[in-house]
Amino acid sequence: MSEPVRSLYVHVPFCAHKCEYCAFYSAPASGDQINRYVAALVREFELIAGGCRPDTLFFGGGTPSLLTLRQWETVLEAMRRCGLTGAAEWTVECNPATVSADKARLLRDAGVNRISMGVQSLDETLLDRLGRVHSRDMVFRSYDILRGAGFTNVNIDLMFAIPGQTLDIWRQTLHEALALGTHHLSCYEVIYEEDTPLFHQLQKGEIDVDEDLACAMYDELLDATAAAGFRQYEIANFARSMPSDPGGSQPTVSEWPDYACRHNINYWRGGDSHGLGPSASEYVGGVRSRNWSNTTLYCEQLEKGRRAKEFAEALEPLARAGELAAFGLRTTPGWPFDLFKQRSGFDLRTGWHDDIHRLIERGWGVQTDERLYLTRTGLRFADAAAEMFLRP
Amino acid sequence: MDAAHIRNFSIIAHIDHGKTTLSDRLLQRTGTVADRDMQEQHLDAMDLEKERGITIKAHPVTMYYTAKNGEKYELNLIDTPGHVDFAYEVSRSLSACEGALLIVDAAQGVEAQTVANLHLAMKQNLEIIPVINKIDLPHADIPQAKQQLEDILAIPAEHAVLASAKEGIGIEEILETIVERIPPPKPTGEKSLQALIFDSYFDTYKGVVILVRVFNGELRAGMMVKMPHSGKTVEIKEVGSFNPKPYTRPKLEVGETGYMTANIKSPREVKVGDTVLDSKNPASVLPGFKEIHPMVFSGIYPINTGDYEQLKVSIAKLQLNDSALTFQIESSAALGFGYRCGFLGLLHMEIVQERLRREFNLDIIATYPSVVYRVQMTDGTMKEVDNPAFLPEASYIEEIQEPIVKAFVICPGTNIGDMMALISEKRGIIQTTETLDTRRVMLTCKIPMNEILIDFHDRIKSITRGYGSMDYEPIGYEASDMAKLDMMVNGEVMDAFSSLVHRSKAENRGRLLASKLKEVIPRQQFQIAIQASVGGKFVARETISAMRKDVTAKCYGGDISRKRKLLEKQKEGKKRMKAIGSVDIPQEAFIEVLKTN
Ligand SMILES: Nc1nc2c(ncn2[C@@H]2O[C@H](COP(=O)(O)OP(=O)(O)OP(=O)(O)O)[C@@H](O)[C@H]2O)c(=O)[nH]1
Ligand code: SF4
Ligand SMILES: [Mg+2]
Repeated sequence: MSEPVRSLYVHVPFCAHKCEYCAFYSAPASGDQINRYVAALVREFELIAGGCRPDTLFFGGGTPSLLTLRQWETVLEAMRRCGLTGAAEWTVECNPATVSADKARLLRDAGVNRISMGVQSLDETLLDRLGRVHSRDMVFRSYDILRGAGFTNVNIDLMFAIPGQTLDIWRQTLHEALALGTHHLSCYEVIYEEDTPLFHQLQKGEIDVDEDLACAMYDELLDATAAAGFRQYEIANFARSMPSDPGGSQPTVSEWPDYACRHNINYWRGGDSHGLGPSASEYVGGVRSRNWSNTTLYCEQLEKGRRAKEFAEALEPLARAGELAAFGLRTTPGWPFDLFKQRSGFDLRTGWHDDIHRLIERGWGVQTDERLYLTRTGLRFADAAAEMFLRP
Repeated sequence: MDAAHIRNFSIIAHIDHGKTTLSDRLLQRTGTVADRDMQEQHLDAMDLEKERGITIKAHPVTMYYTAKNGEKYELNLIDTPGHVDFAYEVSRSLSACEGALLIVDAAQGVEAQTVANLHLAMKQNLEIIPVINKIDLPHADIPQAKQQLEDILAIPAEHAVLASAKEGIGIEEILETIVERIPPPKPTGEKSLQALIFDSYFDTYKGVVILVRVFNGELRAGMMVKMPHSGKTVEIKEVGSFNPKPYTRPKLEVGETGYMTANIKSPREVKVGDTVLDSKNPASVLPGFKEIHPMVFSGIYPINTGDYEQLKVSIAKLQLNDSALTFQIESSAALGFGYRCGFLGLLHMEIVQERLRREFNLDIIATYPSVVYRVQMTDGTMKEVDNPAFLPEASYIEEIQEPIVKAFVICPGTNIGDMMALISEKRGIIQTTETLDTRRVMLTCKIPMNEILIDFHDRIKSITRGYGSMDYEPIGYEASDMAKLDMMVNGEVMDAFSSLVHRSKAENRGRLLASKLKEVIPRQQFQIAIQASVGGKFVARETISAMRKDVTAKCYGGDISRKRKLLEKQKEGKKRMKAIGSVDIPQEAFIEVLKTN
């Protein structure tokens, strides 16, 4: 019997209303549809239960918090039965408009210990612009509810370079978000994903993209988070560490900040992970696969007792190593050479010698005895760097 | 058929005046093509001809007609192209004839190529039958068309046949007039066979099919004939005519036109203009044609470098039926390996490119067209340069001469001011201005050929809202202050954009190209300087600022394979880019800029 998979993702494909920029698989749904999904998900838990003992668990979407108390109870009960609970880090994504005290307590009691809130902005006009269903007030209210329910580890998602967003608005949102006293921030620039309303507006020329402004916002982000005691550990992710024991000695700086999201680190470092629910991806035993992005199809398959895979691919070892290299470099600690070798079977220093050289030459990368990582500028060109490191 | 009952004629006109449509009617009326098999513009066999509605190749066809006098005649018709690029097809066709139908569009009147093609016909002493076509059009102006025939062409207009090829009006009268007025062919009186080769094409099964007009003697299968130009003696396998499909006949007699085959594998062994003679008892050679030389050159490159061999095979195939097309290997730093091709003119160039794309399914890109310059070297020698990239070092050049044409432009009198401005913008010198009638004038001018290459014709059309037309003929070379314009990225020359331009225009063109390039070259992680240099001196500069970031921030578990695929696609795309120095330029950028010239 091989080692159980230590990471589990569950996709909840429902949203009250589709946001303008969103390319995730999600849609509004009726209560019956959601019930059917919950039943199918329970089947899927059962199917993978034997090979999965999650250390990190992540419910994403869509809007997991859209499930009713009853539905959540069914899900949690099945997880307990399958031995899938008890993860050291268990995150559930919440939309500020759908957080109730009851639900928060239910999750907390079941073992959920991290909440990720899709705030995106604290400016009403921009929230409207993005098609978000929540308001600024709801964010503060939800945050209080979550704290009240005992959640200390809350992430806030913010977006910048939103059409219409000025540097001042961004600064304001950022400072208000930091003032909440959370330990984790995910901040990313608006992405114009194909087939989203926002993308079409861009195509029609209704939106001006201002690169300089986006860069200024990013600089602001780095400064403000650093000043608030956050450490950037990935292009878009910032986290604090626990306050050190005033009496104790100064701790050595660890590779990751204490509140970094382990679940995501596992992705960037190429670890195995199960992915359940429509459109979810998983990587298990060298095979990457993905469920159908179609809830009905997903349910039908699981009702027949089988998983609903749309595709599966096993990457060649070198291609896999290239992918590992490319994605690991998105994190600020980059790749320790030993770990890379252990995970991929290849030596980064020899196999990617020219690429490393090019990174350093451009001022994008730093190589030490122990590891390779991107510089502040390098992180701004992480896609170009990733492209270099991929191997066909 | 005995010579007295044979009539050989061409149909000539300005482009689109209805030659091919009239041929349709003649084919129908004579029963050569049954009504149910008839399609519009029947003789335009090539897809491209059909689609563009223009004739590119001359099409011969043999018809039989029983005239009102009760006698049966063999009519050999050659439909010809109207466009100036293919004027050589017209003059060759005319040499096989005793007469020509000169079509004039009743609504458009006489236009530039009407004049040019009529001149060709008169040079060969052909009997001209004027036909005023499209009289069905509501704005047809018959009296005016007649007036123009007399005033501009000096053709007695009372003889003009009024017709509508579309409605089938006047067809009978045209046929009767052909029989009546066009003289029957006369034998030359020489001792044996004389057949003029006026065209050829390649057939996969039969080899080279040679189109001939028998001027003396007769031609039949089994005969041994000689073609003095290649010195080849061959045995004739087959003779025949077109209806319009080729069909075999026992023989071609004096005065007839048709084809012969002789198992000839390479079109190069047959020279258009040569005379087919009896090998044992050869008569004298007929006057042939002036050699045609390509006037416009451009590099054709495969977009996928792997298609290079395929491109070569395809151009060679086209050349089998297009002897005016020339090609030889060339290479470009930006575009890789390709061919320098020579064309008769821009339309010819366009057609070749389009056929390569369509009939051979090739993705190609063509460089900026160039005329042939003569470079007088300091050592007294003379070099012909058709690719500006190969212009010798300035210090070795004594002077550069450029080809000049005599162009005549016919346009409404109201446009004369704009037209003169256009001509002078194009460095032309107006020689004469003639009033043709109450509405129109004809300008004759000397103008450098490289100036009319690109948009001269289009500009005339737009100035005159379609009423203007032009034609030209080369008249030689003149010394000119030409300068080499190079475009550079970060100091490296992009050879595909090098061109020879008149010094007075170099700077403008350099600026234009630089700003175009700026639009199409994607930003990169460093700054890019685009410069235009004329004879080593910079005349324009554009800068593409460095990208400040290149990252899409969000990337979580579900995205990884999607994102990898995206990045892989980009990486693949970069491979197809041409690296000029350190700058990656997508092939599309080259295409974009070369296209918009
Ligand atoms: N109304 C009208 N239209 C005509 C007549 N004859 C030809 N046309 C139209 O004029 C256009 C050009 O006709 P073509 O027969 O292709 O002309 P062409 O002279 O062979 O053209 P090129 O070979 O390109 O020089 C076509 O759209 C014909 O349908 C006519 O008698 N009356
Ligand atoms: S809430 Fe999230 S998943 Fe749902 S539509 Fe908005 S961005 Fe997409
Ligand atoms: Mg025609």
